[in-house]
Amino acid sequence: MLRKITQKIDQHIEVVDAHCDIPCGIYDPHLALIGALTVIRMVDLINDLVEAHGKDLDAEYLNSMARYVAVKEEHAELTKHEIRVIWGDFIKDQHVESYPQLPGLVHKIMQLGSKARQTVDRESGVALLDAVNEFAEIFWQIKDKKTKRVPAPFPVTDEMVVPLL
Amino acid sequence: MVRLLRVRGSSLWPDFHEGDYVLAASINTLGRKIKPGDVIVFQQPGYGTLLKRVQQVLEGGQSFIVRGTQITSSDSRNFGQVPLERVWGKVIWHIRKHST
Repeated sequence: MLRKITQKIDQHIEVVDAHCDIPCGIYDPHLALIGALTVIRMVDLINDLVEAHGKDLDAEYLNSMARYVAVKEEHAELTKHEIRVIWGDFIKDQHVESYPQLPGLVHKIMQLGSKARQTVDRESGVALLDAVNEFAEIFWQIKDKKTKRVPAPFPVTDEMVVPLL
Repeated sequence: MVRLLRVRGSSLWPDFHEGDYVLAASINTLGRKIKPGDVIVFQQPGYGTLLKRVQQVLEGGQSFIVRGTQITSSDSRNFGQVPLERVWGKVIWHIRKHST
């Protein structure tokens, strides 16, 4: 009964902090998703470029290819970095207890991020995005926020998880 | 005097969960009897109002070493001893968000 009363007046109850890390940490898997979507976009651009130029390896082709590959490398690493930060700084023991699939999922994202750097295979990029979407859904569940999957509003329209804030 | 507070964060997990409520009594009400193992409410510059467990009572009760339960908990390892003048009171009742 006391629990019910406190929940009813919750908004008026003063907060006391029992936090870790730097107070008021700001975490969001959004950048990890942007990284994964960018990987897919770069794979598309790389394959389009190859198709358009054939075996004509001129300077323009080499310049564009180098830039696409560099951005793909950078964003696969961005995705891994962002997930590592949330994993290391935000996720606590009780979250792993509630979501026992988390350690395996994070490890999978690390591997898929590396795979996305190694290949120009669109499926690898999509697999990375799928895993990060799954991670994002768990992240927002932990924060008691509902989510939905929407087509990304970019040249790459694969689905991404967004919180309903 | 007593205060009803809602716990934010998980540095005292599994003893206290995010969203739990605590009823804290001021040290004036308690006659300053704070012992190791008590969970105290105190002001920490740069951190705000904190909830931590007392690990050690120093200088005859004039300051305290406080600890969270997590490796990353912000506690006396970060900000040192908590002097008595910054302690508001201690938890006398714990209302869990979810029944166990």
